[in-house]
Amino acid sequence: MSRRKTGALRAAAGALGLALVGAALTGCSSGGAETVHFTFNKREAITFMEQTVADYNASQSDYRVVMDTSGVDPISASFVRGNPPDIMLANYNHEVSRFVQRCVLEDLSETEPASRIRDDFQPLLDQFGTCPGRTTALPYSVMAASVIYNKTIFEENDLEVPTTWSELIEVGDTLKANDIVPFYGTFADAWTVNQGWFDYSVGGAIDVQSFYDKMAEQGTEVGPNSEVSFQKDFLEPIEKMQLLASEYTQPNAGSRAYDVGNVAFANGEAAMYMQGPWALSQIELTNPDLEIGTFPLPMTEDPADLKVRVNMDLVTMIPEEASNKEGAFDFLDYLFQPDIIQAYNESQLGFVPTEDGTAPDDPRVEGMIPYYDAGAFYQGPGILNPRAIPTENYAQALALGTNAENLLRTMDADWARIAFRQPAISSEEGN
Amino acid sequence: MSATRSIVTGGGGAKTPRSRKKVEPIYYLFLFPAVILFTLAITVPGIIGIFFSFTDSIGIGEWEFIGFTNYIAAFSDPAILTSFLFTFGFALVTVILVNVIAFLLAVGLTAKIRFKMGLRAIFVIPMVVSGIIIAYVFAFLFQNSLPAAGSALGIPFLETSIIANPDLAWVGIVIVTAWQSIPGTLLIYIAGILSIPGDVYEAASIDGANKRQQLLRITLPLVAGYVVINVILGFKNYLNAYDIIIGLTNGGPGTSTRSIAMTIIRGFQTGDYAYQMATATLFFIITIIIAVLQLSVTRGRSNI
Repeated sequence: MSRRKTGALRAAAGALGLALVGAALTGCSSGGAETVHFTFNKREAITFMEQTVADYNASQSDYRVVMDTSGVDPISASFVRGNPPDIMLANYNHEVSRFVQRCVLEDLSETEPASRIRDDFQPLLDQFGTCPGRTTALPYSVMAASVIYNKTIFEENDLEVPTTWSELIEVGDTLKANDIVPFYGTFADAWTVNQGWFDYSVGGAIDVQSFYDKMAEQGTEVGPNSEVSFQKDFLEPIEKMQLLASEYTQPNAGSRAYDVGNVAFANGEAAMYMQGPWALSQIELTNPDLEIGTFPLPMTEDPADLKVRVNMDLVTMIPEEASNKEGAFDFLDYLFQPDIIQAYNESQLGFVPTEDGTAPDDPRVEGMIPYYDAGAFYQGPGILNPRAIPTENYAQALALGTNAENLLRTMDADWARIAFRQPAISSEEGN
Repeated sequence: MSATRSIVTGGGGAKTPRSRKKVEPIYYLFLFPAVILFTLAITVPGIIGIFFSFTDSIGIGEWEFIGFTNYIAAFSDPAILTSFLFTFGFALVTVILVNVIAFLLAVGLTAKIRFKMGLRAIFVIPMVVSGIIIAYVFAFLFQNSLPAAGSALGIPFLETSIIANPDLAWVGIVIVTAWQSIPGTLLIYIAGILSIPGDVYEAASIDGANKRQQLLRITLPLVAGYVVINVILGFKNYLNAYDIIIGLTNGGPGTSTRSIAMTIIRGFQTGDYAYQMATATLFFIITIIIAVLQLSVTRGRSNI
């Protein structure tokens, strides 16, 4: 009897102990070091970041950083519950920018890292919306993307990297004449069309920044008679994109998906590939010896118009309701130490957004460095369009040959409709 | 009709004792957990959702009432209108196709044929595979195998994948959905046909009815109740089409195969909470209207 009782007691004590450990994990740890909840979910870089966190925890004894890799949706939920993480390092897009727009983040403008960030990124961040008077997101890693090309095929056919639209068509014609597929299309995956074909074509042809500023000003007025509109400004680049997609891709592009495309390109089945730097590591898996280069897609007859597509791959944010702000700011300073931010970006082929950062030393991204350094970049319309517009699907339809005029008119109508039902947000986007 | 009547008469007969006797509390106990769970998980969130459809909420932060603005915008939004059109068209075509094929298969599988049990087992296999897996397998078949076969055999029609064709992609979705849902429907039909007493057929054959007449005049009328079940259940499932479309076309090419469920969920994922809540409310109202219509049409036709 008594033995059974002790057993039950022991079980109860065990349960209590577990609960205490759980409490310690969520609250302050018993060793005196305060826990800092850090959110990070870029899958390719988790191992690297785990090491960084471990180094930080070993370097001091005041704070202990715990990394959570569960992604954006749980973060949104934690904001709703009033229990957000202490510091976030996340891909910047319309989802994450909601936290900025709704002013639920700390002002970081007075921090030391903020003073070192290059000025030309703030307008890019602001395109997603702002919180007046605050700088709440600091860029940590910038990804540049442009056309990936097979250097060996270019050399074998005596081809130079094209810098104008007509040179590009010449390159395509030469390749076709030699029975080589110029571009490998993976139109079965809508997002691949969006981030590559659609973004490079439009970004290479127009001033994306001022276009979207004007679109936001026009709001519900967007239509056939407005100053700027999709149907007016996008038509020419989109028709060029459709020409490339229909005449200069392999015949089954419509039913090929991203994974298939990576393997095919790695095996030399096409000379060019419109994918971001994330595809490079995938191509490397199939064919580590492939010689790869990158160049911005020329859409005009003036080489001065060449630009690369960038995205704010990681930005740092600290929620207003963070429970351990001191720890968060301390870890922020640590992350932005020149050697750490440099090492991180080096490992991911990303670009350092600080004044003193140097570009990654890799021949595969070499072709983009001059444009990045000169500030010749744009953010893709594919990610700037409000998410309520199914831009990926539209881009896919365009690549498959849908009538561009009709579809761009639909996009204008979509834009005006969003401005009609969410006036607050679209005017914030104009700031 | 007769069921309703029998309940009424039964209730009338037992009126005096029941009104005096207290209802066993155990019955309430049985219902209680389900009612609580249903209220908490379905009714309350549903009402909150309808409430938010009149605001400009994006899921977090502050929001304001904007009246019927979301609804007005939704009615002029081609993305939403075409998704309604696509979903209802798809559900209608699929429900007819599935029921015709399943009924004919059931007739075959209940006849005196060899390997009946083995064949039944084979026909039921698609039912146990998850929809998303079926969709990915068929996506591969449509994208790679069929075009390869088409070019090897010189059939130009097959050479391009049908799910890459905006005008035909829906056919691919109908085929895959039908492939997956025929077994369930088939089982119900088999049960229905087996429940018809054999002497009815005997009497019919003595009266000189041939097999075709037996099928049309006896089997079909006697399984009518099962047809109603299958049509209602099937239609309900197809209106919620989601997983197979995700795996097969992901709403593409373009926006040609976006179902209502997909449109609503995309809205939640993209911070368009209140707006798609309005779509969901519209969808809710339309399905209620359909349910009422279905009930009033089928009431009296069957005893189910």
